[in-house]
Amino acid sequence: MADFKQQIPDQPIRPAREDDFELLQMGVDLKDAKFDTPPIGFFKDAMLRLARNKAAVAALVLILLISFMAIFGPMMTPYTFDQQFVDYLNMPPKIPFLASLGIADGSRVLTNRRVDGLNDTEKYPEGCILEITNEHEVNGVMMADVKVDYYAYTGCEETFWFGSDYLGRDLWARLWRGARVSLFIAIVSVVTNMIIGVVYGSIAGYYGGKVDMVLMRICEIIQSFPRVVVVTLFIMFFGTGIFSIVMSLLISGWIQTARLVRAQFYRFKGREYVLAARTMGVPDRSIIFRHILPNSLGPIITTMMMAVPQAIFTESFLAYIGLGLQAPEPSIGVLLSEGQKVLLNFPYQSLFPGIVISLLMISFNLFGNGLRDAMDPTLRGV
Amino acid sequence: MIKYIAQRVLALLITLFIILTIAFLVIRLMPGSIYDSNEMLSADMVKILEDKYHLNDPLLVQYRYFLEDILLHWDWGTSVAVQPRVPVWEVLASKIPITLQLNFVSLLISLPIGILAGIFAAIYQNTKVDYTISFFVVVFISVPSFIFATVLQYFLAYKLGWFPIIYNATATGAAKYLSMILPITALSFSPIARVTRYLRGELIENLSSEYMLLARTKGLTRLQATVRHSMRNSFVPLANIIIPMFTNILTGSLVVEQIFSVAGVGGLLVESINSSDHTLTIAILIFYSMISLLTILIVDLSYGIIDPRVRIGGGSNG
Repeated sequence: MADFKQQIPDQPIRPAREDDFELLQMGVDLKDAKFDTPPIGFFKDAMLRLARNKAAVAALVLILLISFMAIFGPMMTPYTFDQQFVDYLNMPPKIPFLASLGIADGSRVLTNRRVDGLNDTEKYPEGCILEITNEHEVNGVMMADVKVDYYAYTGCEETFWFGSDYLGRDLWARLWRGARVSLFIAIVSVVTNMIIGVVYGSIAGYYGGKVDMVLMRICEIIQSFPRVVVVTLFIMFFGTGIFSIVMSLLISGWIQTARLVRAQFYRFKGREYVLAARTMGVPDRSIIFRHILPNSLGPIITTMMMAVPQAIFTESFLAYIGLGLQAPEPSIGVLLSEGQKVLLNFPYQSLFPGIVISLLMISFNLFGNGLRDAMDPTLRGV
Repeated sequence: MIKYIAQRVLALLITLFIILTIAFLVIRLMPGSIYDSNEMLSADMVKILEDKYHLNDPLLVQYRYFLEDILLHWDWGTSVAVQPRVPVWEVLASKIPITLQLNFVSLLISLPIGILAGIFAAIYQNTKVDYTISFFVVVFISVPSFIFATVLQYFLAYKLGWFPIIYNATATGAAKYLSMILPITALSFSPIARVTRYLRGELIENLSSEYMLLARTKGLTRLQATVRHSMRNSFVPLANIIIPMFTNILTGSLVVEQIFSVAGVGGLLVESINSSDHTLTIAILIFYSMISLLTILIVDLSYGIIDPRVRIGGGSNG
């Protein structure tokens, strides 16, 4: 690793000095210095460059962290995503570890309560009142805002780390379950898009001519369908659900990959090594997939990374306008749209899914940018 | 040039026709009759109604009626659920202005801000200014507009009370514009970031090009060379990303309209889908398609004007 860093000089190369050179006689056997370091291939090179990009590494760590939570998060609480506690609706978040710091301690401010009723232990169980503020008089009655430990106030024995929603469901379990659904939709659609795009683009690029023209015209037409329209038609026909969302992402998502692969094929199909392979009777299939396609792996991976946030966005966007998954299945978009309805009273219900989706989108974009810079340094900063 | 325009317009019409056909097929191939849900109707009544609207005719005949009504009479049918017995086109026409207002204004606002930020980032390349701007660009591009809308609504409107929480449709004058500020702001973040990123890239490329060196050698100051040569060249291709951005904003505005209760096309689309008002849904879909296709057409044509080579190639199939 250290040797590699010396190969890309950070400082300008110093001018040659006299002792860099050595006088030799004619008969001496002259050879280049043997490289002691292992050879560095394209991908290793790219990975090394990626590792130096701090933002991309941080983004990757975040992506892995969120994926980890999406897989194991729901198992960390005893509650399931669809379990309802009908007595404990809209509970505030309570995280035992952080409670002593005053964050997420399960407290809530109840406004305009009668001061003389505060000692009633039936209404306010012992020890639940944390703070009394804003005492004022209304029509001769003393009123105040009371900050209570809401869990003690309602006699709730459970602990909802991220609170509970309007049906009394644990938001921690729902959030990570939702992240899982969102990531699942993104990954399925992106991988499928890549496969379709690679095959389509390879055929168009390799055969060229009339085939290419027809295939590209089809692309042009499909590409000009607005996404809203495609999604709506799918939802009207198949109803809401994962299938409609994934399918609508598939309709036009592969075109970008196809164009990219096609361009790479145009660049490489005239090269001598392809001609040599063809002369030796290698079938088209092998030339396409074994000889030319590996050249475009870098851009394909980058495009895939960039397509993930797009898919996540589309999913949550649909959920937001009420065309998402069927209840009770959560996704980040579903949680956001449920949170939006009670935003002014219970903002924490929008806060956590909002943070997760923002981090996820930013991370994927940063990581995609990092990958692009690493794979093709000439594009840096564009 | 005329041939090129004709080609692009023809492509637009073909695409529109395909969308129209698919929309028609989707509606007609859906199982069940649209009168199924209404239990007040007897079987005879359903039969009469279905005959009246030619619902029992062969598909091709229905398709002919469908096209004839739209193309010859501009008759998109009547709404069944959202606003019963009102012509679909009237329902839609009443919602279009506010949606277009929001979108146009947010595009207009984001242009100068994005351009300024882009110029700053490019001129102060690889300095703290550039890094700060680039950081915000990534955040603004990544975070969905509805998150911004939610944050703005909670903090600026609810906590601070600077703006109305939802859009005020009945107010006039200043109050109306005040309630439009938040939705417009929420919609503007992403276009600002896109313009900035694009302009920064273009300008950096132009700043390091050879004609800049020539301009400096001729004796122009750095400022003169940048303003007269680099910027001019960077602005030209900007048109090609601004126009398609309109479709993006329109999509984003679907959600932002919901959040701020703007009675626009977005809410109408959702409402029509949820209440199975298919004629209305089709009309809205065609509206969205028209806008998106028109933007593509404008881009194609402006390509032709900016770069004459495109015309000879007969289309932007590069």
